[in-house]
Amino acid sequence: MTSETPGTRRGLLLVGHGSHLNADSSAPVYEHARRLRSGGEWADVRTGFWKEEPQLSRALDGCRASDVTVVPVFISAGYFTNEVIPREMRLHSGLNFIDGKVVRYSGPIGQHRALARVIVQRAMEAGAQPGDALAVLGHGTPRNPDSERNVYQQAAFVRELAAFAEVTTIFLDQEPNMRGVFDLVEAETVVVVPLFVADGWHVGETIPEDLALEGVETRRGGRRLRYARAVGTHPAVADVIAELANEAGAWT
Amino acid sequence: MDVTGGQPPSVANAFAAQMACGEAFALGQLTLCLEETGLAVIAGPGTGDDQVLATPDALRERVRHDERGRYRPLSGAKSMPGGWFARVAPNGLPDALEALYPLALVHIAAAECGELRIVPLDQVLERQAGRYRAAAQLDADGRDVASEVLCRGCVRVPVWRGVPAAAVLSIPCPEPCSVLVSLCREAALWQQSLPAPTAASPDIAFAAFETPGNEVREAYLAARQ
Repeated sequence: MTSETPGTRRGLLLVGHGSHLNADSSAPVYEHARRLRSGGEWADVRTGFWKEEPQLSRALDGCRASDVTVVPVFISAGYFTNEVIPREMRLHSGLNFIDGKVVRYSGPIGQHRALARVIVQRAMEAGAQPGDALAVLGHGTPRNPDSERNVYQQAAFVRELAAFAEVTTIFLDQEPNMRGVFDLVEAETVVVVPLFVADGWHVGETIPEDLALEGVETRRGGRRLRYARAVGTHPAVADVIAELANEAGAWT
Repeated sequence: MDVTGGQPPSVANAFAAQMACGEAFALGQLTLCLEETGLAVIAGPGTGDDQVLATPDALRERVRHDERGRYRPLSGAKSMPGGWFARVAPNGLPDALEALYPLALVHIAAAECGELRIVPLDQVLERQAGRYRAAAQLDADGRDVASEVLCRGCVRVPVWRGVPAAAVLSIPCPEPCSVLVSLCREAALWQQSLPAPTAASPDIAFAAFETPGNEVREAYLAARQ
């Protein structure tokens, strides 16, 4: 909940990865911040990045509100959310008191149940029908077992919504690999939804290449694969961020 | 006229006084002045008639690439494209400047009050982990050279190096940026065997330090020969 008293309303700080090399990497974070700002619910909505400015270690310097919620715009609860962000921002999970401010450090967007609805929306935008299979595609990495957890969790949330005949989980960089997606489901049509923050290098280039996609729809052996846009760029992600922040606002 | 978004009065006064006198003044590579209409004008380097929408998003996008089309991950890099201006209501100036030089006003104000938290490079490198843990292996000379070659191309004054801020409206940099950490990581890897210098190319991405010909990389290697 947010107070309506001017000067005491809560601030929001969205933190993302950003890039030294790719100007588009941070675009979804800026877009979600713009959307949340225009809603007028928050006293102040700011951004911070690991590899852009304001850098994580100084991002709180710019926050005017005395009560700030930091929401990581990341899918996984792993290396960045558990190590890099807390170290750089002098935070631990939950409530913090830093330089006279209350700072609430929430979990990443990838762990919130509300994101499952966005996954379903992305699938439907790609033409998914109730009889189709939905494959939630995560990055994954054999180097960090935490990386996969939210991908499986989101697939479970989507399954609970009962919008599609089958829901499975595939990965870019670990097993079950995305190349075997047709072996994992029985439906004639499988809709692959990339659970990524941005329509960046992986979503725009490496995944379509590795899957030899032919556009929005690819036919193979009498079956069809439809490829959705990245979940993280959907406008409704701003609502997920707001939900995370409002839940953090109840912490005492 | 509050043009600094609630920053301490001295900064607001410095802005307001100069602008009220009709004097243009510089902030980094920007020139600011006040029109008779009461609107503030922010202009990029040089002259030009490309009027940019006065929103933070439009301004950020206008300076996101240099004139060669290279992405600028460092807002203070002295490569801001020119030929543009924006008319901004005075109360919109803080957000406009925040988009162009993030945290500049905040850090100017904090420095004036003696409250700017300064973190030196050694401390920043020591706390790195993962891919950037190697940066802490860079020797003292390498740290000095890396800082010199990167920071001399930036409008922010590296007060974390002990360099005093020259004037009230110079932008203090209180802590090494992630681009410098990235350069230190590469430089630490080069300590084993310094790569051969290559002709610098302005077409190579600004922060692609792994790529031979990158301007910052080549400046570093030349200084360490």
